[in-house]
Amino acid sequence: MSYDLRLKQGEIKGMEIMELVKPFKWAESSSSLELQHEIEQFYYKEAQLLDHSEFVEWFELMDKDIHYWMPIRMNRVGREMSQEYAPQGKGAHYDDTYETMRGRIRARVSGVNWAENPMSRTRHIISNVIIREMEEPNTYEVASSFIVYRNHSEHQADIFPGERRDVLRRSEGGLGFKIARRTILIDQGTLLANNLSVFF
Amino acid sequence: MNFNSGKWTPEAIRALIDEEKGALDPRIYTDQELYELELERVFGRSWLLLGHESHVPNPGDYLTTYMGEDPVVMVRQRNGSIKVFHNQCRHRGMKICRADCGNAKVFTCTYHGWAYDTAGNLVNVPFEEEAFSGFKKEEWGPMQARVEIYKGLVFANWDPEAPDLLTYLSDATPYMDTMLDRSEAGTEAIGVMQKWVIPCNWKFAAEQFVSDMYHAATTSHLAAVVAGLPPEKDLSNFEPHMKGHQFRAKWGGHGCGFYIDAARGSVRVGPIVDKYYSEGPAYEKAKERLTPLLPYHRMGASHMTIFPNCSFLPYGMNTVRTWHPKGPDQIEVWAFVVVDKDAPEEIKKELARQNVRTFSAGGVYEQDDGENWVEIQSALRGYKSRTAPLAMQMGLNVLGKNNPEFPGKTSYVFSEEAARGFYSHWARMMSEPSWDTLRPQS
Repeated sequence: MSYDLRLKQGEIKGMEIMELVKPFKWAESSSSLELQHEIEQFYYKEAQLLDHSEFVEWFELMDKDIHYWMPIRMNRVGREMSQEYAPQGKGAHYDDTYETMRGRIRARVSGVNWAENPMSRTRHIISNVIIREMEEPNTYEVASSFIVYRNHSEHQADIFPGERRDVLRRSEGGLGFKIARRTILIDQGTLLANNLSVFF
Repeated sequence: MNFNSGKWTPEAIRALIDEEKGALDPRIYTDQELYELELERVFGRSWLLLGHESHVPNPGDYLTTYMGEDPVVMVRQRNGSIKVFHNQCRHRGMKICRADCGNAKVFTCTYHGWAYDTAGNLVNVPFEEEAFSGFKKEEWGPMQARVEIYKGLVFANWDPEAPDLLTYLSDATPYMDTMLDRSEAGTEAIGVMQKWVIPCNWKFAAEQFVSDMYHAATTSHLAAVVAGLPPEKDLSNFEPHMKGHQFRAKWGGHGCGFYIDAARGSVRVGPIVDKYYSEGPAYEKAKERLTPLLPYHRMGASHMTIFPNCSFLPYGMNTVRTWHPKGPDQIEVWAFVVVDKDAPEEIKKELARQNVRTFSAGGVYEQDDGENWVEIQSALRGYKSRTAPLAMQMGLNVLGKNNPEFPGKTSYVFSEEAARGFYSHWARMMSEPSWDTLRPQS
């Protein structure tokens, strides 16, 4: 399976898959301590919402133009490593807009989402936060690492490690930021779990 | 193959499936020896879905996959054909190719450097002249499988005696065509395989897709319906559709089920894809092409399995998957999406996005399926759990449900006729050594 990136360039809007393979483009000078603190606190509070099943409140952190995307990763030979990630629209574990995320949240809190009733126990550990201020004022591109642990039913234990590449916008009220884009780089090719009924 | 050794004699295997009573022995999902026999007798002799021809558009394009538990490489040749060969070097048994997909001129084993061309011919052995005497490279290439394509879907079979693919598909093809032959342009796969692991027997998944509309109309997928409703609506007005049929292939264990005269499917596929599948030029064309085979315009949501482990959902859901067996209690789901090749770009994009939302590892439908299969497998660890037969009686002695408007043998939409067909073919493959008795009688 080969992607001719030159031909497909026009299709790949938003984050280019080439960018995902490379390290996050950090700024030459670090962000201020205050901004670093604010954004880390935002992530910790977000994790609290997810780990305590406050999904409606968590969804309120999404901006209306959210693209919530987890592209599929593949085993590729070295010379084709630039094609490790499936481009947008060519295979994903999540590829959601505000509207489809709203549907997911409604399902999640419906009481009849049997994969999550009885509910899983999850833990979102967020670290390695690097912030880059974008040209647009009050907008930040942020890389962070996560480990999401899920314990389900009696013996099921899943570990999902990975990296998030977010675009955050400052907002009035709430937790101080909205998530405008979340790209999730999961450190698995074949998902080692029976489903992805957790959010990242 | 010796069919008369060990505890699983042909008689013992046939006794596991009682078609007349509609009962099956749960050990078919748990027994390690039965599983080993499945690898040999079912997966070693059946046509297995590997992918779509558009996964490998150009010469040298390949993907690696499995036939049963045997790793294989599927490669596009210079002459346009597709070859499938064992992904194992005949020297020390190393995998020849360790990437999921890509483009190659040659496959070189990373252990000792034996190199194979894209047709699977052994073309280079390091130090051949110095270290070997009279080594015949042509005799030491990887095993080749038979390859046949049905309307874009690539199938392979290890068994030279097995009937050709079209014979194997029996009278199931009109139902396959509702997804694969809506347009003269055919279909293409969108993107790559999504793969995930479910700790359950492969037959739970295959059987659900062959024969189970029941779960969708009852409790399983209520959350998914909520997810697909417009924000102002909820489940209070939800009534499951009750009209439809199930089809059981006359040979081969294939089957499908479908609604007829149902409300449109935007809950499942979103309004844009639903419109494309319900009105307009693509719909009219599909209706015209398919109506000689079946009343396409009356059908809606449908599910289908081609025995043993190829399943898909036509009518815009369009997920296609192979349930790769990984032991009696584990599968890997390898799923991809197909779409009419001549569909507008925005339809292709939206269909792919809706598929991720619904029928994928995190899909609002799919996640609740996996939960059921895992918990059944877990319960079957118990001794008592494996002693009592499971009921498979829906449709038995329910008369007058065959609808002659549809091809083949049809029953009520909530039936287990196709499941009985699936398991009885399974029992035949497991207990009959020769294609002389197995092959369909013409």
